[in-house]
Amino acid sequence: MSASPKTDWKKLIWALMGVAVFFVLPNFLSRFSIYLMALIFTTGLLATSLNMVLGYGGMYQFHHAVFYGFGAYTTALFLTKTGLPGWVAFVCAPLASALLSLLIGLICVRLSKLYFGMFQISLGSLVWAIIYRWYSFTHGDDGIHGIPVPDLIASGKSAYYFALIVLVVCLMIMYRIVESPFGRIFQGVRDNPERSEAVGVNVRKHQLVGMIIGGTFAGVAGSLFVVVEGSVFPDLLFWTLSLEILIMCLLGGWFTFLGPLFGAAIIVLLRTFVGIYTEYWTIVLGIVLMLLIFFLPEGVLGYIITRYRSRRNPKFQEG
Amino acid sequence: MDLLPNISLAAFCQQLLVGLSRTTILFIVASGLSLVLGVLRIPNVAHGSLYMIGAFLAYTIASAAGGGTFGFWLALVLAPLGVALISLAVERGLFCRLYEREHLMLLLFTFAFTLVFGDLVKLVWGSDFRSMNAPTSLQGSFDVLGFPFPKYNLFLLIIGPIVALGLWWLTNKTKIGKIAKAAAVDREMVAAVGINVSWVFASVFVIGCFLAGLGGALVAPTQNITQGMDHGIIIETFLIVIIGGLGNIWGALLGALIFGLTDAIGILIFPQFAIVFPYVAVITVLMLRPKGLLKSVW
Amino acid sequence: MLQVKSLTKNFDGFMAVNGAGLSLEKGQVIAVIGPNGAGKTTLFNLITGQLAPTSGTIRFKGEDITGIPPYAIVRKGLCRSYQVVNIFNRLTVFENVQVAVLSRRKHTFNLFSNARRMAVNETSRILESVGLKDMAHSISGSLSHGDQKVLEIAISLGNRPELLIMDEPTAGMSPEETEVTLSLMKKLSDEMGLTILFCEHDMNMVFAIAHEIMVMQQGKSIIQGKPDAVRVDKQVQEAYLGGDDICYA
Repeated sequence: MSASPKTDWKKLIWALMGVAVFFVLPNFLSRFSIYLMALIFTTGLLATSLNMVLGYGGMYQFHHAVFYGFGAYTTALFLTKTGLPGWVAFVCAPLASALLSLLIGLICVRLSKLYFGMFQISLGSLVWAIIYRWYSFTHGDDGIHGIPVPDLIASGKSAYYFALIVLVVCLMIMYRIVESPFGRIFQGVRDNPERSEAVGVNVRKHQLVGMIIGGTFAGVAGSLFVVVEGSVFPDLLFWTLSLEILIMCLLGGWFTFLGPLFGAAIIVLLRTFVGIYTEYWTIVLGIVLMLLIFFLPEGVLGYIITRYRSRRNPKFQEG
Repeated sequence: MDLLPNISLAAFCQQLLVGLSRTTILFIVASGLSLVLGVLRIPNVAHGSLYMIGAFLAYTIASAAGGGTFGFWLALVLAPLGVALISLAVERGLFCRLYEREHLMLLLFTFAFTLVFGDLVKLVWGSDFRSMNAPTSLQGSFDVLGFPFPKYNLFLLIIGPIVALGLWWLTNKTKIGKIAKAAAVDREMVAAVGINVSWVFASVFVIGCFLAGLGGALVAPTQNITQGMDHGIIIETFLIVIIGGLGNIWGALLGALIFGLTDAIGILIFPQFAIVFPYVAVITVLMLRPKGLLKSVW
Repeated sequence: MLQVKSLTKNFDGFMAVNGAGLSLEKGQVIAVIGPNGAGKTTLFNLITGQLAPTSGTIRFKGEDITGIPPYAIVRKGLCRSYQVVNIFNRLTVFENVQVAVLSRRKHTFNLFSNARRMAVNETSRILESVGLKDMAHSISGSLSHGDQKVLEIAISLGNRPELLIMDEPTAGMSPEETEVTLSLMKKLSDEMGLTILFCEHDMNMVFAIAHEIMVMQQGKSIIQGKPDAVRVDKQVQEAYLGGDDICYA
């Protein structure tokens, strides 16, 4: 219909230009900036994967970091404890996260919306506690450091390119899913689960599949983290990080596709610079969240889009 | 005890008693959470932080009063009140402005407070852990089947039922309790008969937080008071409320019992991963009854 | 087409539906009327599977559908629209109907096709037939109440129902909007051959369109028959004594 091929082309050209810029960018950046960018790509992928469940599915996915950390630990353990080729680790991480999402999802999607959120926080914390306490296997609190990342992607710059490529590929797949029949119906489930059921949608199954998709991409982000950072620690599965991702989605705009990516960039940069002056990062995060709730509940990108639409089409503001 | 040859019956009973007294504290904190959840439909995540603040406040008040018996009792009264005051300020200052907004925003707001309170505690009390003594009359222990059972735990076992009865009286016999119940079911209706629903919510919220503070003050003499207490307790109380059923005080009691006992048994059998046991219990309950054991009474 | 026999629903001791019966032939338009609280909405919720009945049977096209989940009932060709506006309010009007069409065509777990190119013709046709074509790309949450109720019906059409159940299709509508809905329902029945079961307080509308009327009181169905027969029935008049619904209309 009116979503004409023209707008599609326009979007594609913008996207290509964006990617091209990021491809030449490392030539002009310091080593630290390159690392920071790679971290933003990783975190951006993580936030986008959460938004698949939260923004498009309307589910209270309050402990998304678990799938991220689980993917990261899977990668790290494969690389340090087995002699298997590196790519095996990178394939297994998303699979492991998908499996974990399936397990947690099977229990959670049967529950009401609030119970879903509460029990997911609890189950996620169980996974965290196990990794935290299983010293002989995971090195507990110490984490695992100096992980032997495959040579091809070990240096700062090549890690940057690896993260960029993976991010772009994953974003493309996720965009495709959002625009697929599944994605359309998933958004219907978000807006009105009861009505979705009345048009013949198996709501719980949809939510479960949505959770698995989100968890899988979080797992991919987790293994990217290993590439970028070279280490893992239990904080990757801690609840505070889940809140941080949630704030990224909210900050960027959780009803937009690219919003969470923006949000991730802002939060990662903020954390880096706030970290120079103070150790009280969480209080800053809490205040950011409060400000968002009161003044910008649609997020930065959401706000811009609403303004843009209402300028182009004044009728939009009615009702 | 064939299954567990290296654990004597006496040790088992002792562990059970310790588990039960811990249940008391879990119940008090969880019932506060459950109260707020039942009326406001918000799982107040900052509940754990308020519990932590209760414990730190109790420490400060007790030490300021000289640390003796008097200090303890003073702390037990003043710390929960302090927590209630904080929550009142938060509710009237910020929280109440969100009642008309999307439900998720209220929820996220409690997240924000968890983050802020976590660091505020670090700012005020520093990162070291603190400890506080029980009053001399409650120190020492009794003999139970040849094993020592701390007097303080007995004290907790007495406090639990008192709080439960008090809550029951509050929700069923007082006007505010009845209004709160009605408001939980149909807030427009309650507003229509001329009751200020916003203040009803505020009272419920403050009472719930008071209970978190009370739990914190009660737990202070039994363990180190540390950063991170908030996370542990909020997960535990979430599980308890989930088992018990949304907004049901007796459900909170039942949930706390199941949680405390499975946890105690877990510590005996498999200390490193004792935490897994309560989860198994919760998952089993949810498989059978996805809405919790008891029905929501609200 | 639809046979409901001695259906009951017990809500904690309160019998919301207490022995309701109903029978529908293909192509009929049947209205359920009754005072407030007679159990009309509960009856509809039982038929469409939103609630599980305490006892009794529901047969659709000869098949027992008692107690199967709502999405499975919809797939058999029994759809409903709601009393309160019940749409996907962040999606566009087009997408609202498309969700139903995609779901009927069993594309629900298709992850990689482009939804924008799917079910376009059918969705547009439905929007055209209900007169929402001009608003196809507005966000449905910003529509007027009347338009949202029409969209509500359009979503149900996306499932290509054989039997459409409508819970108070004109509730809260202005007289003009009611007129539009009435002609839409006639069109659905006459041109598309749809079987319609609806409940309504507006008696003018009921008598204008219904082939048969079933009257409910305190959870029981007290009569089902031709409008003229129902109008003069003694029991019906008693049911409405004290109740103000008929005058209301």
